[in-house]
Amino acid sequence: MAGAVVIPEGRFARSGPGRDWALRYGMRLAVLAAALALWQALSEAGLIRGDEFPSMTATVSALGRQAASASLWAAVRDTLAGWAIGLAIGGGCAIVIGSLAGLSGFAYRSVIGVVEFFKTIPVIAILPIALVLWGATLTMKVALVAFAVFWPLVIQVCYGVRSLDPIARDTARALRVRGAREFLMVVLPSAAPFIATGLRVSVAVALIVDIVAELIGGGSGIGAQILLAENSGPSAYPVMYAYILVAGLLGVLLAGVFTLVEGRVMHWHESYRMAAGHAG
Amino acid sequence: MRGEAGAAGRAGPVRAASRVAGRAATRAWLFAALIGAWWAWSAGSTSVYFPPLAKILRTLWSQWAVGPARAQLGSSLEHLVLGYAIAGLAGIGIGALLWSLRYLREATSPYMYFLYVLPAPVLVPAVITIFGIGAAMKVVIIAFAAVWPTLLNTLDGMRGVDPVKLDTARALGMSAARRTFTVVLPAAAPQVVAGLRNSLQVSIVLMVVSEWVASTGGIGYYIVNAQESFDYLGMWSGILMLAIVGCAANLLFVLAENRLLYWHYGARAAERRA
Amino acid sequence: MMGQSPQPSVVALRGVRKAYPLRGGGQRLALADVTFEVARGEFACVVGPSGAGKTTLLRCLAGLAMPTSGVVEFEGTPLRQVPAGVGVVFQDYGRSLFPWLTVRGNVDLALKARGVAREARPGRIAEVLASVGLADVGRSYPWQLSGGMQQRVAIARALACRPDLLLMDEPFASVDAQTRFGLEDLILRVRDESGVTVVFVTHDIDEAVYLADRVIVLSAAPGVVSEVIDIALPRPRDQVATKRDETFAAYREHLLGLVMTR
Repeated sequence: MAGAVVIPEGRFARSGPGRDWALRYGMRLAVLAAALALWQALSEAGLIRGDEFPSMTATVSALGRQAASASLWAAVRDTLAGWAIGLAIGGGCAIVIGSLAGLSGFAYRSVIGVVEFFKTIPVIAILPIALVLWGATLTMKVALVAFAVFWPLVIQVCYGVRSLDPIARDTARALRVRGAREFLMVVLPSAAPFIATGLRVSVAVALIVDIVAELIGGGSGIGAQILLAENSGPSAYPVMYAYILVAGLLGVLLAGVFTLVEGRVMHWHESYRMAAGHAG
Repeated sequence: MRGEAGAAGRAGPVRAASRVAGRAATRAWLFAALIGAWWAWSAGSTSVYFPPLAKILRTLWSQWAVGPARAQLGSSLEHLVLGYAIAGLAGIGIGALLWSLRYLREATSPYMYFLYVLPAPVLVPAVITIFGIGAAMKVVIIAFAAVWPTLLNTLDGMRGVDPVKLDTARALGMSAARRTFTVVLPAAAPQVVAGLRNSLQVSIVLMVVSEWVASTGGIGYYIVNAQESFDYLGMWSGILMLAIVGCAANLLFVLAENRLLYWHYGARAAERRA
Repeated sequence: MMGQSPQPSVVALRGVRKAYPLRGGGQRLALADVTFEVARGEFACVVGPSGAGKTTLLRCLAGLAMPTSGVVEFEGTPLRQVPAGVGVVFQDYGRSLFPWLTVRGNVDLALKARGVAREARPGRIAEVLASVGLADVGRSYPWQLSGGMQQRVAIARALACRPDLLLMDEPFASVDAQTRFGLEDLILRVRDESGVTVVFVTHDIDEAVYLADRVIVLSAAPGVVSEVIDIALPRPRDQVATKRDETFAAYREHLLGLVMTR
């Protein structure tokens, strides 16, 4: 697929014979340590102004304090709520509608133009409408996430359903597998790699839209905490950066979990059987 | 075999034209129907929040095509183009560089991945505290956020180049530098372009978010300003303008891609036929 | 039936051994001890059972891979990298030809890589394309052509810089039988016209006997040279007449016996 590519963690976390592996992880830790040390050094030398950018130690300790208190976990929970529900609704609709559209040539051709158009609208444009309708609530976030996730995923599902190998279809016919059973046991599995790729992108997009909705629209969650910290002035900047780090870590975590699940569910497909996988 | 002329050529020009028209109609009818439905449903609307489509379109024209909002549009597009260009060039350049420096690449890849996955809009408040709320801030955040998809895809594309092509290049006696520029990069081009497309979407989002938060100019500023002034007609016109910008940018990208990657799609089609 | 070549050799292998490290540790020995020489202007075919390391051998000859021990000499000098004066044709023309360049562009790239002057290139491109029978497809892209024509482009590209040695790795395995006969005759004609030395790897015994001056038989992995057979069939070879010859059948039978049992 020539679309957005999210590179799965596995690609970078290749393990191999002992010495090579140790060297690689050693280098990575060294880079991290060096970067953190440089950050701190620049702060202390005054090259980074304290009122613009907090020192490394201040940020890390702010992160620690937040983690110890309930507020960080509450924020993560609120962000994940919007992410999960929006993803479920948008993803569910996309799979259902995409399957229906993919099965009929006419439906596909009718729908594809509209979907392609909506896919190009930056979801951020819908934010004002969502705010007007629902205010700074969970519903607003869920609506935006579902909207953002739906369009690219529905196209992927369509492609997947339409990509059914004619030989597989003929085999199903010859075995008298029809209707719902044919759909569930033949069409859907052959569409699965496309759907998996679409979902991988959706997982990332959903988080971004979710956090941006909080950041701009308000409400609760990681984005909202960042906005709050920024408005509280320079003394709160360490907290702001701490939450930025949390946002990134959450993204990495979700992508990693997805890759694991995907590997388990799709292990039977040839592209996953090959040792080092490329992104879809 | 030679060429790939469509079957339509055999059917006569009138049949071919009507087939093209028919295909276009199939793709367009739903779109037209939705617009028509919106128009009809909103025509008698007295709600402040959902004005009639007719009025929105008029405002779109009066504000954005010939009116005062044109400056905002221009400002947005300037920052978008500049930020995206920097991101694209840096992404390809740094990606190619890291491809050839194996240890540096392996040491930094998890951190680049982290920055790629990080929802870039969260950095906007942070970047504002450092760069203020002017044009520099917007270009910096757009470039910084949009560089990662291109960079990682360039890297991935270059690493995935067919070894037969690399062997061929070596067998032809090419130096490493020549190989990189005349074989590896063109072979990686499809994936580089996929990265650039992703970067474009990221650029647009960051353009809007940075303008929204900084509130000093651009489409994002126009929308949030209209909303806070209860000018919902203006807000809707801004939303439509943004949708148009997104759509147009994508269209331009696809046109450029089809020219640049003509050979790639041709080769793939030939492969499928074989 | 060991063949001795009295003329100076273009390429020689002595005691070449090639081992590949395996993922879980340990090694796979592809070539154990390969020694032979190919004389100037000779057409040598290398045959052997599948997995015999024929491709590994070719890559060592080309300088694309370095032997674990032993030496590969090209025109008397041990090989460290791909030398000037070698042309390589790979089996998979679809993956070897560059799809973003036209046919002319592909051949031009070969000339540019070896530093041929700009003024000389167009003439040479036309010349070498004509010599493989592709005078008028210069502007097409490789993927617009048939398999046989694509492989001709690959051959033209390999010949563009007038190499001393042409290495071919099962080049006609991916084309249909009829096209293959045409390509076999083409490569014989090219050799006759230019005097280039050819080392031709194939799994097709008929093809090997038809084309070769000598056939080198590689044993199954770990590969050693089992036999080297002089092919004393008259030239010019002909697809019908030569293959009807009793001697042809005898060679064929002998080689099949060697390749299939080992």
